[in-house]
Formats: sequence, structure tokens, C-alpha cells
Amino acid sequence: MRRALLAALLLLAPATQAQTMWSLDVLMIQMAQVRAASASFTEQRTSPLLNAPLTTQGTLRYTAPAYMRKTTQGPAPQDFILDHDRITMSGGPDGKTHVFHASDAPQIGGLVEGIRAVLAGDEATLTRLYTVQLGGDAANWQLQLTPLDPKVAKLVRAITIAGSGARITGIDTASPDGSDSHMRIAETVSDAP
Amino acid sequence: MRPERLALGLWLALLVLCGVIAARASYRTQMGDFLPHSASLEQQVLAQQVNGGAASHILLVALEGAPTATLAALSEDLAGKLRDNAAFIDVMNGDDHSLAQIQDFIWRNRYLLSDSVTPQRFTAEGLHTALTSDIGLLGTDLAPVLSQSLPQDPTGEALNLMSTLAPASAGPAVNDGVWTSPQGDDALLLLHTAAPGFDLDAQQRDLGLVDAAFAAARAETPGAQAARLEISGPGVFGVRTRDVTKHDVTRLSILATIGAVSLLAFAYRSPRVLLLGLLPIASGALAAIAAVSVGFGFVHGITLGFGVTLIGEAMDYAIYLFTQTAQGDTARDTLSRIWPTLRLGALTSVAGFAAMLFSSFTGFAQLGLFSIMGLITAAAVTRFVLPPLMPKQFFAVGAGGMAKPLGWLIRHQRPARLMALAALLAAGAALLTHRGGMWDENLLDLSPIPTAAQALDAKLRHELGVPDQRYFAVFQAGSAQQALARSEALAPVLAGLKADGALAGYDLPSNILPSDATQRARQAALPDAATLSARLAQAQTGLPFRADAFAPFLKDVAAAKTAPLLNAASLPPALALRFGSMLVQNGADWVVTAPLTDIADPTAASQRLAAAGANFVDLDHESATLMSTFQREAVTLAVVGSLAILSLLVVGLRSPRRAARVAAPLAMAVAITAALLTLGGGKLSIFMVTGFLLIVAIGSNYCLFFERAVAGSVAWERAIASILLANLCTVAAYGLMALSHIPVLHDIGVTVATGTFLSLLCGAVFSRGGAP
Repeated sequence: MRRALLAALLLLAPATQAQTMWSLDVLMIQMAQVRAASASFTEQRTSPLLNAPLTTQGTLRYTAPAYMRKTTQGPAPQDFILDHDRITMSGGPDGKTHVFHASDAPQIGGLVEGIRAVLAGDEATLTRLYTVQLGGDAANWQLQLTPLDPKVAKLVRAITIAGSGARITGIDTASPDGSDSHMRIAETVSDAP
Repeated sequence: MRPERLALGLWLALLVLCGVIAARASYRTQMGDFLPHSASLEQQVLAQQVNGGAASHILLVALEGAPTATLAALSEDLAGKLRDNAAFIDVMNGDDHSLAQIQDFIWRNRYLLSDSVTPQRFTAEGLHTALTSDIGLLGTDLAPVLSQSLPQDPTGEALNLMSTLAPASAGPAVNDGVWTSPQGDDALLLLHTAAPGFDLDAQQRDLGLVDAAFAAARAETPGAQAARLEISGPGVFGVRTRDVTKHDVTRLSILATIGAVSLLAFAYRSPRVLLLGLLPIASGALAAIAAVSVGFGFVHGITLGFGVTLIGEAMDYAIYLFTQTAQGDTARDTLSRIWPTLRLGALTSVAGFAAMLFSSFTGFAQLGLFSIMGLITAAAVTRFVLPPLMPKQFFAVGAGGMAKPLGWLIRHQRPARLMALAALLAAGAALLTHRGGMWDENLLDLSPIPTAAQALDAKLRHELGVPDQRYFAVFQAGSAQQALARSEALAPVLAGLKADGALAGYDLPSNILPSDATQRARQAALPDAATLSARLAQAQTGLPFRADAFAPFLKDVAAAKTAPLLNAASLPPALALRFGSMLVQNGADWVVTAPLTDIADPTAASQRLAAAGANFVDLDHESATLMSTFQREAVTLAVVGSLAILSLLVVGLRSPRRAARVAAPLAMAVAITAALLTLGGGKLSIFMVTGFLLIVAIGSNYCLFFERAVAGSVAWERAIASILLANLCTVAAYGLMALSHIPVLHDIGVTVATGTFLSLLCGAVFSRGGAP
């Protein structure tokens, strides 16, 4: 009887710890469990050039550890694919397909690489590229990423990723010049193991 | 006594004169100067691209032997150091600075450079279309980047131009912010030197600068101790070939000098006579350089290096004089005996080389004049200058015994002749049954560049995406502006070919610098400030842009409308090099040479270009044609030269029979040499054929002395000894050349050493000396 109780306590222990000791390590381990996910999004962009925000909608798809696809349905359809280091942009206003390496364009690469690292639970990459601040609890967390590379910092002041458990619910990007983006992510279907 | 002093004085005066001319002569090493005067436009393009085109300024660099991140740091450090040095026009390693020159030029001059600058684009409708597209872009992840350039460039001219002038897709992979090989085990850099590839002194200095900068960067970069640098490019090939040639020539000529000096010292036992023996060839070379300089206005490097090899027989003249002077004789007595033979020998060689004067290749013609002048001078110095300078009572003490081995051979002429004929038959059979062609058609076998270096070059070119430029569209125009206008007219044709997949890419001078007319037309297409402001306001209707969002655009357009036109001097160095390589003044004409990459169907491309008034040039084809012309001419000259020697023998000896007696051993020697060279499937190179002419030129002297000498006398013994001594010196000099790694030196060396020795043997065996 005492042995059974001990066994039950031992089994419970990690769960108890996870709830009480919320940390970046724990979030990263949680995120790393997700092998694939897809969701729909609504994005609002402001720009110093514009007197009203632009709103776009589309879907997001992720396959661990390094494939992300953002399909914008409207108002202008566009596809953005990150596959490891390779970025493919197609269907933009010029109708052309652009292929380049994330490392060729650190400004864009630094932005998408942070989101990918959070999705993959890749803490090493995340802390190499950003100062990371975690707030909230497991049910409602906010991760604030501040770029370390000055080239990226010129274009992106901060990225704030909000989430619940292993699910990302929003991504906010703020630029020094006022080009900001607020993305709300809904209906996530994650394939946890 | 008086005529001799006169001769000495005249010789010294001429020597000084030739020395002055040679010292002031212009020496050139460019390939174009070796080519025929009547070179076609295609051949001129070939020479120009090989020697001074933008491609000749390229150095390809790979850093390896450390982790990627370390190599990246090393690449940044090295690039930074080289960018500070004016010897390098352009240092690209994939970082932000790599394209900064071009980006800056494009940004500042986008309204003069972009072909989308048309009146239509700056109407209210045109601007509305552009702004609508911008709204689309601002909704993408590119927004943060675009919001920096859109206020000044809402029509996207700069982005468009960058993709034309510096296509990003052409570059290598990027890791840790710098170019690397696909696996990341090499960091790659592409340099353009200020000096062209043919300027070997400058290239050598620049290679030293790269090495020094790399050593310093390696010392500063932690963990980079084991890193290595590999470098390739036209300048590297040129410098290394020169180094190997210098090394071979120095080492081999020291060895050859030791060999020849030992032989001559043994024969003469007089240092003074030994030195006197050099006067004919030294005076000959100096006079030859002066003659070429006066005759052609310049001396080609190849003429200088190769010419001395051609007049090697001038060494023999002094040997004949010194060795054939018997005890108690004076040099004048000897000369009165041997001069007719010596003179005929020299004249036959002059006739042999005279054919070269009529070659279409300037280089061959120079070599012809060089050898003619060199040999005539050497013979004259032997005749008029050496006798008064020789010590009284001199005779070659050690030469007496030298005749013995040949004497023995001559005494056993009957079996020796049978053996020689058997050898000739075997040689004839071997040559007739030789499989797979006698001629070496593979041009790479003539190249002095080692296979490993060629492989490294190919690997780096592939990884850096700078293929060897092979195809060009070429046309001429009467002025630079007309050439640029025609270049603009050709742009849609090439764009069409590219769209059809017939070619992967092209470059045109008008992409970098549009013609004045086009620049003016673009300025005219830009509306004035008030009009543009009104149209822009109209274009913004219904779009969520702030009213003042594009104020910088209005300012930039107003500035561009009245900006001074761009000219060649406005270009940044990297673009100036590319431009200067594509648009070249050639006499009164301007030639445009536009590189084309990855031609799928050369015939179709050629037809489309011809219809547009441009020539299609395939450099590989042109160089192959040129090389085969060169080979054909070299063979013709050798054959014509040999026939000229034989004809002169008939005239000089006044008897076809005696001429045949001289010519037959030479023919045998050449045939057996050719058989030996092609033994086991070997092939004859163009250099070996030139060697055959030298065998005939040098060997005919031996045979003339054999033919003239009366057997058994003291004079006969001395004549035989002099021939043997001359031949041993020749075999020593040319035989050592056979050890060289440079194909031209090796081939001539092995051919001449073998052939002259066989001439000696055949000459002796078939001489009349055997009849007691």
C-alpha cells in the first residue's frame, strides 16, 4: 500500500513540477513535441505610409522542424514558404516567384527564423538570435523576442508571440519606423504525439 | 692588321648600337601581338578577352580547413583588408559590402538607368497601377524592408535594376553571412584586380597581397590556424607558368652550361678561348633583338625566349673554328679552309628560317627575322672578330682524342651502314603502321598548366557561378554612342532568346550605361514637379496611402530630370571594368562584345543574332580554329624551311649528288627521330615539328663537314673532333631541356637532342671517310 502510494506520487511529480515551475525550457520542450500544425490567421498591418491598416487573411502550416508556409488568400493572394534556409515567395503583386536564402536577407530571415525556432522548440537558435523574455503561465504565455543582430533590429524592434500550451495564438511585430503587424491565429489543429 | 682592327672597331660600334636599340625596345607579351595582322573580328575578340577582358581580372579564392563559422569570420577579415587596397577593384564574399558599389550607383541613377521609365509609367494611371501593387507588397512580410525604399521609389525601379545588373540567383550559397560551397566547407571570394591578367608583374604582386592579407587574417581569427587559401584565375596561371618556366630555364641552363663548359674546357684548356666562344651567339642575339625591334616596332616575349633556342647552332661556329685549328696553324689559315663550308652551313639555316618571314603570324615572322639576323651576325663575328682575338699558338689540346670514337665508326662503315638502313626500315614501318593518327590534336597537351590547377579552376568557377566565358554577341559601330544605341536595340532580341530558353543570361554595355539619347528620352519621360505632384495625388485616390507619403519621390524625380547625363567616368570601378570589357575602341571603330551564358542551341542563337546584325562568337571554336591555323602554318614552315635548306645545298655544292650525300643522313635522322617520338602510340606535337627544322639546320652543318673532309689527314681528324664536340654541346643543352615541365621546352629539347645525335651518327656512317 505504501509502495503504491509512493509510485503514484512519483508519477505525479513531473506534472506538478511543470505546473509550478513555468520556464522557457519547459515551453520549448512542449513546443518540440508538435510535429505538424495548421491554422488560419487574420493579420493587420500598419505602416507610416498608410493612413489605415491593411487586413489580410490566410492559412499557416508548419511541419517540424523547419518547414513553414504562409498562404495569404486576400486581398492579394500570395505564398511564402520557408524550407530550412530557402525562402520561396510566389504570387505576389508582380506575379513572379522569388527564391532566396534566409541568410541572404538577414532582415527577413531574422524575422521568420525566430518564429520557426519557437515552433520547433529550438532554444539554442532562439537565444542566439534574440534576447528572450517569457511572461504569463502555461495557459496564457507571452514570449518577447528582441533581435540581437543590429541589421535585423533596424527593421524589427520586437516580436511578441502569445500562446496557450503548445499553441500559438498571436504574433505581433513592431518596427522602429512604425510598420507594425498584429496577427491573430485561430483553429489550430496540432498533431501532438 | 688594319682590316682586322677595322672589323673589331665596327663590331664594337654595332654592338653598342644594337645594345642601345635593344635597351629602348618595347617588349610585349600580349597574345594579340602574336596573332596575324589580318586577324578577323572574332580572333581579335578572342585575343582581347583572353588578355585584357574583365574575365582576365578575376581571382577565385576558396578558404578551407576550419568550421564554417570560422571560415566566415576569416572571409570577412580578408575581404575587409583587401577592400582597403587599391590593387583590388572589387572584393566580393557575399556580405553586405559585396554589392554596395553597384547598389549605390543604381539607387542614385535609377531614373536614367531603368528601361521602365516611360511617359506612360508616370501618368496618373501608370502611377495608380504601381501604387496598387505597392499596397499588395505592404501586406506581405517584405513590408518592413519595403517601407524604407517605397517613399523614394514607389515604381520599384531600383529593385528591377538590381535583378538585371546583379542577379541574386547567380550567386553561390550563403552560410553565416558569406558565400560558401554548397556543403559549407569552403568560404568563397571573387576578386577583380585593377591590373589585367596579362600584367604578370602586377598579378604576382597582387597574389602576394592576398597571401599576406590571408596570413594576417588567419593570425587574428581564433581557431583559424589550420585554415588554407586556394586561389585560381588567369593571372594565377600566368604567374605560375612564368615561375615554372623561369625555374626550369634557370636550373637547366646552369646544368647545360656546366656540361658544355666542361666539354669545351677539356677540349680547349684555355678560359680565354672558352669565353671567346660565346661572342658569336651573344652578338647574334643582341643584333637579332635590335633587328626585330627596328623591323616590327616591338619585340614579342615569345620571340625573345624562343629565338635563342633557334640560333643555338651559332655556338657551333666557334667550336668549328677553334677545334679545327691545328697545332702551328693560325686561325686565319683555318678559316681559309673551313669558311666556305661554315658559310654554306649558316646560309642553309638562314634559308630554312627565311620561310618564317612570310608567315601570317606576327610572332613567326619575328622569329624568322630574329634567327636570320642572329645567325648571319654570329657567322660574321666568327669570321672577322674571333681570329684577331684568339691567343697565338692556340690549338685545342684536348680535341685530338675526341675523333677516335667516330673514327672507329667510320672505319666500320659497312656493318654500320647496314644497321643504319635496318633502323631506317624499322622507323619507316613503325611510322606507316602507327595507329590513331600522328598528330596531337588535344590542345590541353600544349598547355603548360598542370591538370590539378585546371581542375581547381573548374571547381571554383562552378561553385562561384562564374563560368568561363565562351559565347559572345559581337558587333561594331562608328562611335561609342552608336554602339550603345545598337546595344539597346539588341536588348529585346536577347531578352527574347532568354524567354525562349535559348540562353540563360546576357550582359550588355547599355544595361550599365544607356546611350545619351536614351538617357535624354528618360529625362523627357519624367513629368515636371507640378505635373507629377498632381498626377500622384490623383493616383492615390482610393488607396490608403498618406497624402505626404511620397514627398521624397517627388524630390528625386525632379533631381533626375535635370541631372547631368551619365558617362563612362560616372561608373563605379566594378561596373567600369565590366563596361570597359564589353565596349572597346578598335581603331576608328567601337566593338561591342556582349557575353552570353549557357547557350542551348548555338546554331539557332547564331541565326537569331545574325538577323539582328550581330555576330555570334564561340571562343572555344575561335581558339580551336586559331590553334589549327597555327599548327598548320608551323608544319608548313618546317617543311618549306627544310626544302629551302636542301635547295641551297644543291646550289651551294653545285652537284645534286653531293647534295644528296648531305641530305640523305638528315632525312634518315629525322625519320628515325619521328619513329622514336611516336613509339608506343605517342603523338607528334607542333613543337616537335619545329624541332625537325632545327635538326635539319644543325645537322646539315655536320654533314657538310663530313662531306668536305678528306679522310685520314690531320685536318680530317680535327674536323671530325669539332663535329663531335659541337654535337655533344648541343645534346647537353637540348637534352637537358627535355627535363622541363613546360611542353614547348620538353618537346623541342627531346626532338633536337635525339635528332642531332642521329644526324651525327648517320653523317659519319655515310661519309666518304671509310675509303682508305
